Amino acid sequence: MHNSSTQPHSPNPSAEITGLDTLYEIETPEGIDLTSRLAGPVPRLLAYSVDLFYRTVILVILGIAVTFAGNAGVGLWLLISFLLEWFYPVVFEVLRGGQTPGKRAFSIAVVNDNLTPIGWGPSIMRNLLRFADFLPFGYCAGIISMTCSRDFQRLGDHAAGTLVVHRDQAAAPAALPQVTPMAPPRGLQLEDQQAIVSLVERSGELSRARQQELADLLQPVTGKPGDDGLNRLHGIGRWLLGARSADDNLRSADRQVGGQ
Amino acid sequence: MNLDRLAVRARQRSSWESIDLGILLARRHWLQLATLWLLPAAVLFLVLALLFSDSPNWVIFAVWWLKPLFDRLPLLVASRKLFNEPMSNREALVQFRRANRTDWFAWLTWRRLSFTRAFDLPVTVLENARGKARSTRISLLHRKAANAASWLHIVGVHVEMILGMGLAALLYLMLPEQLEIDWMPILNDSNATYAWIANGCSLLIMAAVAPFYVCGGFMLYIGRRVDLEAWDIEIHFRKLRARLDARQQRTAQPHSTAKTTSTAASLVCALSLLFLTTLAGPQPAHADAATPAQSEVLIDEVLAQDEFHQREKVSNWRLRDFESREYRFPDWFIAFIEWLEGLGGDDDIDEGADEDLSIGPLLAGIIEVLLWILAISLVAYLLWHFRDHLRGLLGYRPMKKIAESHTPETLFGLDVRRESLPDDVTNEVLRLWNAGQQREAMGLLYRASLSNLISRFDCAFRDHHTEAECALLVRQEAERDPRLQPALVQFFGLLTKTWQRQAYAHQPPQSTQLENLCTQWQQVFHETDSIRDRDRERGRNRDQKQEVQP
Repeated sequence: MHNSSTQPHSPNPSAEITGLDTLYEIETPEGIDLTSRLAGPVPRLLAYSVDLFYRTVILVILGIAVTFAGNAGVGLWLLISFLLEWFYPVVFEVLRGGQTPGKRAFSIAVVNDNLTPIGWGPSIMRNLLRFADFLPFGYCAGIISMTCSRDFQRLGDHAAGTLVVHRDQAAAPAALPQVTPMAPPRGLQLEDQQAIVSLVERSGELSRARQQELADLLQPVTGKPGDDGLNRLHGIGRWLLGARSADDNLRSADRQVGGQ
Repeated sequence: MNLDRLAVRARQRSSWESIDLGILLARRHWLQLATLWLLPAAVLFLVLALLFSDSPNWVIFAVWWLKPLFDRLPLLVASRKLFNEPMSNREALVQFRRANRTDWFAWLTWRRLSFTRAFDLPVTVLENARGKARSTRISLLHRKAANAASWLHIVGVHVEMILGMGLAALLYLMLPEQLEIDWMPILNDSNATYAWIANGCSLLIMAAVAPFYVCGGFMLYIGRRVDLEAWDIEIHFRKLRARLDARQQRTAQPHSTAKTTSTAASLVCALSLLFLTTLAGPQPAHADAATPAQSEVLIDEVLAQDEFHQREKVSNWRLRDFESREYRFPDWFIAFIEWLEGLGGDDDIDEGADEDLSIGPLLAGIIEVLLWILAISLVAYLLWHFRDHLRGLLGYRPMKKIAESHTPETLFGLDVRRESLPDDVTNEVLRLWNAGQQREAMGLLYRASLSNLISRFDCAFRDHHTEAECALLVRQEAERDPRLQPALVQFFGLLTKTWQRQAYAHQPPQSTQLENLCTQWQQVFHETDSIRDRDRERGRNRDQKQEVQP
């Protein structure tokens, strides 16, 4: 690592921050922990711009189409622009699982703050209050509120009790190294197992040297240094993923079901 | 760099999530980062303001152009804060020259307008990479994150602009309406004082936004490194290693001899584990293990067997495939659109001028189809709306009542369905009367009348009507409906009164009176029967006549 000087300062433990993250965690009355990844101002602003672009395109096309109709056309155009401004997001959010086209483009979605799908009431509320977020110009209030509030909420979100969260598509299962699966030793906790599995799944992206470096950390587990140790770790990872023989490829299907 | 003291949770993130995390980090240390950005910039701004006091816009432009210089101190501090290493403002300001030593010229000239500045700066400032090393490093880092980094830059530029305009708009909103201000001298640059105020505000806004921009790019860089170098895995592995070592020491300490050979023992243990797990078939357990090491081997061997591993087969329902989520136009839709285009294109053939405007025929086709749908639905609506008039014109009786009214099955507790009546009503009434069941007899007679009125004469009785109201209704109905003869109305009035006396006052009629009613009943309803038959006959004749006419 090229990072510059690591001076031996005596750390002040009270000032230390650990585990800073953008996760939003709630517990249901049934005792189930739900976790969601909050979406911050940057993707949200971009998603809004995409929606604004779509709306503008619709209005421009409509504007050209209604020029034949004279004053009646202007009236129609104004009506439709009103509806688009206020109800385009509402309709999409409620009927398309919290995603307007712009939000879909950035894989984010609106949910209630208990992570249930958003309904008509909250959606109308948060979209009508975009007016407050717009003040004094160009969504200044919204940008400041999003940046400063704990859960990246703008004023409309605060009023309606909603959040915007990331909703990425699950990645396709990666190809695994073809090594013989072997049983892990005793005493591996869930987190350790997850780390080993993660190493195996990312073996295609990480360099071989870096993987060996990581495997050397676990020499007490693998019992061998260098490449053999890494292979053994891969074997343990495959075993943990459910493979029991070298050409056992059930894993990807299993995980898809289990992961949903 | 000590990964154990990382202030953020190390996990794989998407680019957008990394930027969000950067916002979070910048918010934590915003005051310090903004101050460190602002101090050098403000000094420069003031010096330039004194030197070139008559060109305020060039001064702010110079400060804006030198942004890459000012971005480096917040970045340095953010990188320390990420590993929970404290750094005071004084310490940081001392490093200003050192931080700007690498590649400052490149960043101020050909890289000044780079869209990925916040993302690339850490390579320069923290890794001190330049030249070829830098370009290979950058190309590796850019592979997944360049897109998000550029968008971060674009958003940053726009947020700065929006906040500037927002501040101006806020001031304008707050001005009292009575205050009449001549805007022109402020808006054009002739008034230097206002320009200086405006530029000072822009400087403050730049300093306020800079921490978020710098930290967003920095966390994007960190996220990419977590991805490439598997920091999250390393942290977990180190924790696991520390735990294993601690356990090793605990078990080794009681045996004074094993102290130095702890690693060797673990090696032996793991090797034998490998040996045993590769053996096929379960091994018989040995109870006599000589040393703790041997017994550990035994334990591992037993635990590796299938009995200690739960294998579950989970079956559940899921959607068969998710491909249908992608929008794909069905064939019929394409065919429909082509048909529409053809429809609109027909009219344009003679003109030939609008051929290059491809949307024209489609639009015309859509409008044509819409107009046709509108016209057809209008005709259908008119037909439906005036259906009674049309019916009258064609010579049919209006069927409004039957269509609209929902005939009740019981009235004031009496069953008025036709099925509940005996075939010969009057005989049954007389039989009951003679058997001494006067109330039942009267009830049946009244009930039969109601039922007949409903089913034959379409009297619109409702559940909530009383007997008197029913009689009134029949009287009113008689004025409109010729089928209700005066005799019938009169009879029904009389019957109602008699029934009310029987039902509520318990005063049965005389026997002769009842017999009278029975004969009247037969007359009234049978006569109307025959009248109706005649009517129907006449109607059929008229139909035939109409058919003959054309």
